[in-house]
Amino acid sequence: MQQRPGTPNDRAHQPLSTRIDRWQRRAAPYLFISPFFILFAIFGLFPILFSAYLSLQVWNPVQGLGTMRFVGLENYVFLLDDPWFWRSMSNTIWIAIASGLPQHLVAIPLAFALVMGVRSLRHPLTAIYFMPYITSAVAVALVFSTIFGTQFGVLNQVMAYLAQASWSAWLFGGLADTLPINWLGRAAYIKPAISILVFWQFFGFNVVLYTAGLATIPRTYYEAAQIDGASTRQSFWHITLPLLRPMIFFAVTFTIIGNLQLFDQPFILTGGTGGTAQSGMTAAMYLYRTGFEWLEMGTAAAISWLLFLVIGTLTVIHFYFFGRSGLETRE
Amino acid sequence: MKKFLVLALALTVGLAFSQTRLTIGVFEPLHEHIQLVLPQFYEMYPDVEVEIRTLGYEDHHNVLVTNLATGSGAADVVAVEIGYIARFVAEGGLRDLSAEPFNADQYEDLFVEYAWAQAQTPDGRQVAIPTDIAPGVMYYRRDHLEATGWTIDQVTESLESYLQFGRELQEQGVFLTVNAGSVADGLIRSEIPEGDGIFFAADGTPLLNSPRFVQAATVAQQIRQEGLDADIGAWSNEWFEAFRQGTTATELSGAWLGGHLQTWMAPETSGLWGTSEMPGNILVSWGGSFYGIPTQTPADKVDAAWNLVQFLTTNPEVQLEAFRSINAFPAMPETYDDPMFEEEIEFLGGQQARILFADIAERIPGVLTHPGDIIANEIWQSAIGEILAEGRDVQSALDEAQMLVQRRIR
Amino acid sequence: MQSTAVPPKEARQTPALLGGLIGKILLYGLLFFLALLTLFPFYWMFVLATHAQGDIFSAPPPVWFGDYLMRNYDALLARVPFIRNIWNSVYIALMATVTTLFFASLAGFGFAMYEFKFKKQLFAFVVASLMIPPLLGIIPYYLIIQALGWLDTPRAVWFPGMAGAFGIFLMRQYIASAVPKDLMDAARIDGASEFRIYWNIVLPIVKPGLATLGMLTFIGQWNNFLGPLIVLSSRENHTVPLALRTLQGLIQTDWGAVLFGTALAVVPLMIIFVLASKQVIEGLTAGAVKG
Repeated sequence: MQQRPGTPNDRAHQPLSTRIDRWQRRAAPYLFISPFFILFAIFGLFPILFSAYLSLQVWNPVQGLGTMRFVGLENYVFLLDDPWFWRSMSNTIWIAIASGLPQHLVAIPLAFALVMGVRSLRHPLTAIYFMPYITSAVAVALVFSTIFGTQFGVLNQVMAYLAQASWSAWLFGGLADTLPINWLGRAAYIKPAISILVFWQFFGFNVVLYTAGLATIPRTYYEAAQIDGASTRQSFWHITLPLLRPMIFFAVTFTIIGNLQLFDQPFILTGGTGGTAQSGMTAAMYLYRTGFEWLEMGTAAAISWLLFLVIGTLTVIHFYFFGRSGLETRE
Repeated sequence: MKKFLVLALALTVGLAFSQTRLTIGVFEPLHEHIQLVLPQFYEMYPDVEVEIRTLGYEDHHNVLVTNLATGSGAADVVAVEIGYIARFVAEGGLRDLSAEPFNADQYEDLFVEYAWAQAQTPDGRQVAIPTDIAPGVMYYRRDHLEATGWTIDQVTESLESYLQFGRELQEQGVFLTVNAGSVADGLIRSEIPEGDGIFFAADGTPLLNSPRFVQAATVAQQIRQEGLDADIGAWSNEWFEAFRQGTTATELSGAWLGGHLQTWMAPETSGLWGTSEMPGNILVSWGGSFYGIPTQTPADKVDAAWNLVQFLTTNPEVQLEAFRSINAFPAMPETYDDPMFEEEIEFLGGQQARILFADIAERIPGVLTHPGDIIANEIWQSAIGEILAEGRDVQSALDEAQMLVQRRIR
Repeated sequence: MQSTAVPPKEARQTPALLGGLIGKILLYGLLFFLALLTLFPFYWMFVLATHAQGDIFSAPPPVWFGDYLMRNYDALLARVPFIRNIWNSVYIALMATVTTLFFASLAGFGFAMYEFKFKKQLFAFVVASLMIPPLLGIIPYYLIIQALGWLDTPRAVWFPGMAGAFGIFLMRQYIASAVPKDLMDAARIDGASEFRIYWNIVLPIVKPGLATLGMLTFIGQWNNFLGPLIVLSSRENHTVPLALRTLQGLIQTDWGAVLFGTALAVVPLMIIFVLASKQVIEGLTAGAVKG
């Protein structure tokens, strides 16, 4: 290493080192966050500009880059009047809510119960709930097409049992007339089937996030509450929920963003077709089909911008209502 | 030692210069086939080395789209499956093989008419050469046929007789077919007026609410409403099980289905099956693949690439080998004289089925390929799905489909 | 690090939990029911890996192990260099994980603990970058990788995402709720540089958060398929999902072999999960830093 002109111990240079120190404190946050922006400038910016440009063109990709033709806003005009586009948007929002909301309503109390209640089984159970997240898409596809099968499907067989068995018939007897349900064939059942799959695959993911979030809550809080005679329920409402807010905010943000871009699960369950009456086609699937199957890249780019608009709007609403408490820093 | 190394290096470099390294992009089962026949190719062209790049069936085509879009990364020779060929018929991505130095049109008479037409642009440029085809046929269960006392000719005589056969099967608790959708798919592909395509007329007008489609959808809906089909989605577990259990009596499909039934789908049903022409003797193409050369293939490799394409598509030995090893039905009629076509197939009750397949293949008329075929097909599939599953009115569903396709063809 | 002393086990009995036996039975019943639902497909993946493709597609399908394991193994190895594929996946996932842990926690720290100009806007930008549907990006992504000369190399896959928005947001949230501000002030008075504060004080506190992020990154990268598909062309460089998908043919796919590979490829993920959750659990038992 080269000899530096002044060491920190050198009193004569202290003003400089103070200056350096002040500079490093002021520059630190910018330096810390800079890698994201540098990488974004290299890898993220061009794709965005590319797709913005593309959305104003007609382009069949197999003809090569030089063959784009400028059409102005025609792609957007086309989409705003396109029945399949609106159907895919409403499907997306339907599935996003039906699969997203229950994830958190289950995962939060579940994480709490795992951390506070069943100490000895916490570890294996968390691992088990997380399994769907690491089970490969291929296995998931095979398993769920079997679960949703009409004649031999597990779900239909369970429901048939519930509708007949003496102990449950009073509650489920009404189902008997509709059974067996063609889950993946009938338009009315495709969205619920997709939602069930998405819920199944991701609630464990959220349990893991919330478990990690619970680790930030000092145990002394609970102990103090216990001494004050608080019940478990009270602890949950008054300690866990408020302090878990940053993690809830984070997890919900990702559910919003992720669910609105849902692709794999509807693609798997409908075999890429969108299902009967396109009732399982999400916006991301429509984007894929338009761009890569029908080779209308310009229109696909316009779909991606309209979808971006929807995701952005919903996220902004979410930030507006919950951002203040969700992004607070511990004092 | 050092000298030796230099010498070795020089040798390798020299060798590398004289060798043309080709890549070929395929999906299974073509990979398996190429691996088998490559030694033969090397005998003919010892200075060429071939690397096979295999991807999943869908992945292969998606990557190909990306590669053609960016003008780089595609293999020197690429396989294209029939479901995708219409996309690549558009100008730009694949080389025009009708032009110099290929002059592919010299081979036109080697192939069955319709396969050749499928890879041709409306203005007559050939962008890919057919390698295998799949004549559409009907597979049926001999045991169910006997139980009804019908002959197979009576069943296929007309659509009406096919349905009547289904009604008699119904009395015995057997379904006519697994999914009425496949009947509709067959019907829209048959009796296409000269000069038209499946989905588009010669002048580019969509035909989705034309009488041909209305009739196809109406027949399929009738099958569904009378409860003649099992209403099972293709490729589901229950679909496979139906073949194994024999709960259905017929299946309209490509000729390839027999091979799959025999080797893994339902091997235990050997001898119970037969095959015939489709009901109403309609002539339908049900699959196939092609090889083409991307525009981006470097000029110094084009000759070798073309040699490889010719080897794979116009060499009868290679075609027959594909039939033997991967059950890919040859696109070249001259191979149909091979003794293997006369073999009696035990799985099909000793029937000489390949003669029938060849006969059908040669009679299927060529139809016009339109770049919008893929969109139109997906919109049609969606419409027929709604008609069958939701009982939607045929005319209104097809009018909507027609409107959707029309909007797309801008 | 000042964590609460771990009290003896008995004393840690958390507040009068879910009182009564009935509540407990209900709770356990529910927990086990959920466990069954989530475990079964996972178990089934292993079962199917021991069957031939014809058996897999029967109805009802097999629920117990078959005798086809070795043949599936042979079929898989005959078609793809699977061990090599696993190594590629491990390498790419590890590189992605290590770099993400560093850059994401650093940026998350920056966003969580500092006030600076344009912070809100910059953070909004980070979050917004997640909302762009990735599918259309693949053509420009290919062009960039090509321009860099990185085609068919592993870094084309892990490098672009190593400071991803997901990790930054997660670490921001975690650090914001786990690290008290006065701790930083105390360190500053001691003369520590900002980076040193991050390295010596913040990182040890947020270990459970890092473990969670590391695990999610590893798994995410392990299953990543679109990126590698576009940029990794030779089969020696393929990752596991890519290699397994090459078996998916036009009509016939050897699902037995695919599921065998899938089952084999899940083992590294389980190891990572166990390692990571050990960290999280330790964080839980230790409790957080005193407020």
